[in-house]
Amino acid sequence: MLNHIFIALLTFFMSTAITAQASLKLPKTVKVDRAALTIEEPCDPIISPAWREAQEIEGVKIAASPGCSPDNPAWIAAAVKGTNNISMDTLMKTGLSPDAIIKTDDLDGDGDPDRIIIKLEIMELNGKSPDFPGLVPTFDIAPGIQPGAWVFAPKTSGMSTENFESVRANPLLRLPSPVIRVEVGDIVQIVLENTHYFPHSIHLHGVDHPFMHGEHGGQDGVPQTSERELMPGERRVYQFQARQPGTMFYHCHVQTHTHLAMGLGGMIVIEENRPNNWLQTLNIGAGQVRHPSVAVKEQYDQEYDLHYHAMDKELGDIIKKYNDPRLIARDMNQRYDATDSTEDYYTLNGLSFPYTLRESLIIVEQDQKIKLRMLNSGGELIAVHTHGHHATITHYDGVEHNPVAQIMRDVFDIAPAQRLDLKLETIDDGKHSYGEGDWLIHDHREKGITTNGMAEGGSMSSIVYKSFLNGSGMPKVSHFGIDLSAYFTKEYYEGRYPIWQDLDEWSSLGSPGEREGLTPAAQTSLIYAFIGLLAGLLIYLIFAKREQIKQGAVATISRLKSPKGSNQ
Amino acid sequence: MTKTTTLTFLIAGIFTLSTSVLAQQQTESSEQDHAQHDHSGHDMSHDAHDHSGHDMSQDSGAAIDHSQMDHSDHEHDHDVDHSTHDTHAMDHGDMHHHHHMDHDHIMDHEGTMIMGQNLDTLPSSCRSISEEVEITVRAGRKYSAKFPGTAFAFDQQEWRVKPCAKVTFHFMNEDNIRHQFMMHGLPKYLYKYGMFHLEVTGPKTVSGTIIVPGGDDTYLVHCDISHHMEKGMKAQLVVGNGGTDIPGIPGLTPYNINDTYEAENLPTLSDKAEQSKMVRQITQFTNDNLQTYGMMLIGLLLGLFCIPLIRKIPLRRNKENKS
Repeated sequence: MLNHIFIALLTFFMSTAITAQASLKLPKTVKVDRAALTIEEPCDPIISPAWREAQEIEGVKIAASPGCSPDNPAWIAAAVKGTNNISMDTLMKTGLSPDAIIKTDDLDGDGDPDRIIIKLEIMELNGKSPDFPGLVPTFDIAPGIQPGAWVFAPKTSGMSTENFESVRANPLLRLPSPVIRVEVGDIVQIVLENTHYFPHSIHLHGVDHPFMHGEHGGQDGVPQTSERELMPGERRVYQFQARQPGTMFYHCHVQTHTHLAMGLGGMIVIEENRPNNWLQTLNIGAGQVRHPSVAVKEQYDQEYDLHYHAMDKELGDIIKKYNDPRLIARDMNQRYDATDSTEDYYTLNGLSFPYTLRESLIIVEQDQKIKLRMLNSGGELIAVHTHGHHATITHYDGVEHNPVAQIMRDVFDIAPAQRLDLKLETIDDGKHSYGEGDWLIHDHREKGITTNGMAEGGSMSSIVYKSFLNGSGMPKVSHFGIDLSAYFTKEYYEGRYPIWQDLDEWSSLGSPGEREGLTPAAQTSLIYAFIGLLAGLLIYLIFAKREQIKQGAVATISRLKSPKGSNQ
Repeated sequence: MTKTTTLTFLIAGIFTLSTSVLAQQQTESSEQDHAQHDHSGHDMSHDAHDHSGHDMSQDSGAAIDHSQMDHSDHEHDHDVDHSTHDTHAMDHGDMHHHHHMDHDHIMDHEGTMIMGQNLDTLPSSCRSISEEVEITVRAGRKYSAKFPGTAFAFDQQEWRVKPCAKVTFHFMNEDNIRHQFMMHGLPKYLYKYGMFHLEVTGPKTVSGTIIVPGGDDTYLVHCDISHHMEKGMKAQLVVGNGGTDIPGIPGLTPYNINDTYEAENLPTLSDKAEQSKMVRQITQFTNDNLQTYGMMLIGLLLGLFCIPLIRKIPLRRNKENKS
């Protein structure tokens, strides 16, 4: 009997031990410690704050650029004067090849050079290395985001990386391909030196250029109509003398469905001819034009080049997967199906939010007139919305819209390859502008504000009034209790940061931890195992005590029988 | 009898009791359990995550590259003296117009560059110059033809010189783009950034001279334009008996990281052997069938051969049974 009680107690304790693990409460919230994130500086530390100021280099007046990552002023001086007309000191500060931009011959005697030679190379970003498990040279469009890309780059001198220790790309090698600016009537030679391992070309979309040139042959850039593909190691000259001004587009026309998406496209602006019109021939990285043309200055206070682009992650991944050019060619040309592709990265001037805040803010003051040149080189229509402002469309595809019929909008739909020129007026009248602020400018297809599916990212930027800018050139948001630092982490775009965890003190929308103790499934299976154990015990007992049971049964039967028997 | 009945009742009782206790225990023990769990399980796992993340970024970043490519602590800023540069040089036709900066960085208006040249300073490990050598290095796309899977190359992938040799390189770029002859790992007290660098847009030649150190060593030579080295423009200079080979030199040393290759469904000439489409369809049909029937036949033959073997096993058993 003692034995049985012992067994019973044992099973009882076992059952309580199992159930003590279980919990009725849901898992606790796990808060990600900010210190565990790799938080980058809001402003790129390699860029000198002195670059922001208005200055004069080589006699070239360079406008202030109050944002946190302005263009290198030496680039602007070199682009305005030409690399052949500046001091070696300035040239060395640019990293450009001495023959990158050659400006000579004032043919019409109006005080500015009319023969312009622009040399472009083709550079790969974030490609696979056979030497180490990583990419080279690296270019981040957002924290930790390194899409495989190709760009037209101004002809550089020296290394493709920042220095010998770094794998980061030389600042001249970047998305987007640079904005080219020439004047109506200039004799322009765009010299493509194909430093890439694939064939390429240049098509001058919208630019007045002859289909054939006497010396240089066919030059529409199309391998099916005007010319052979330009092979690696070869050079080709595209020469034109444009008769019409406008915001245009240049891009590679070899396997365009992949090469354009990879980044081989940029804006080309033909400016109106004016005397003494020294143009900023290249706007590297697009964005603010710090030395606008005479014609633009006649009408506007500021000018911005806004190049919208979109990239498919799977396409860019091909150059991150293979080093052998034949395998890259096979996957891109024969296996990649553009009709099955989806765009994953949306960029403004080569970058996605929050990096757009570094160099693509439209920084304004009240009662200004700002010219915005927009290009969509992505594969789909975009719809750019300007918060707090209605702007006027002055030009479509470089051609001026009838001034009387020009319209104001706050959503600007731009088809692939299309260009819009906008006149943004910061007049606080409730129509042009609703007043000062840090007003968003973003693609209103909602995926346009994502980076590989993570919002906020994409091509989102701001029209920000100077009064809303902090000392380092970032939008002033801290007085609203806003902290943008989480966006400057790669963990955010890896989807590893619960974005709403800091909205309240107890992280009501933070990340739930794992369930503690046993899961409901484990609990039920344990209960079943326990029932099984009991059943087994029961069977064992019946078997062990079968003699007693038999005797007991016999005894009861006999007891039942005996009264009957006595009755008989 | 009484014993058994009490026992069964007891067991049944425990079962019902335990389920009710289950609920009570849960509410009582939950608070303590939580406190303990949080500190052990979750925080630990987070720590682990973060560290692994850090390591990863280091692996894929500059650290590895640095060690393998012998990029020691160089910097890219050029401290230059621009005394002789002509700011208003509009002519860009003649090739004699050199912009001298300091003695070891010379660049002309087309970007032809000589950096880290050493004509006369002996390395500390040398008493005298052992030999004077002139090496012509050709660079271009056409030299990659003999190395499938590359796009650019030098004409040779290895040059050998004696320790303390004075070597003049004539770098002939035969393409119409920029190429570089960039050597790394030289002693830094003699060569800025430990580097000797020739750069020229072709077709054109640039020459530069160095005096190699006295020890046996192997030096990386490459073109640093984006993906030129990765796509084949890589070589080594072996001094004396040399040091460790540089990886990834076409035809010489294997890549550290290799691509995967697979057979592809490419059209072949035998596809076109039969001119007529009908003939081709028929032959294809019979070819397909031949294959299946052929395999069937082989299977049949195999089966026939196996019959005696299979038959032997049960026969023996029968014999055993009989005996």
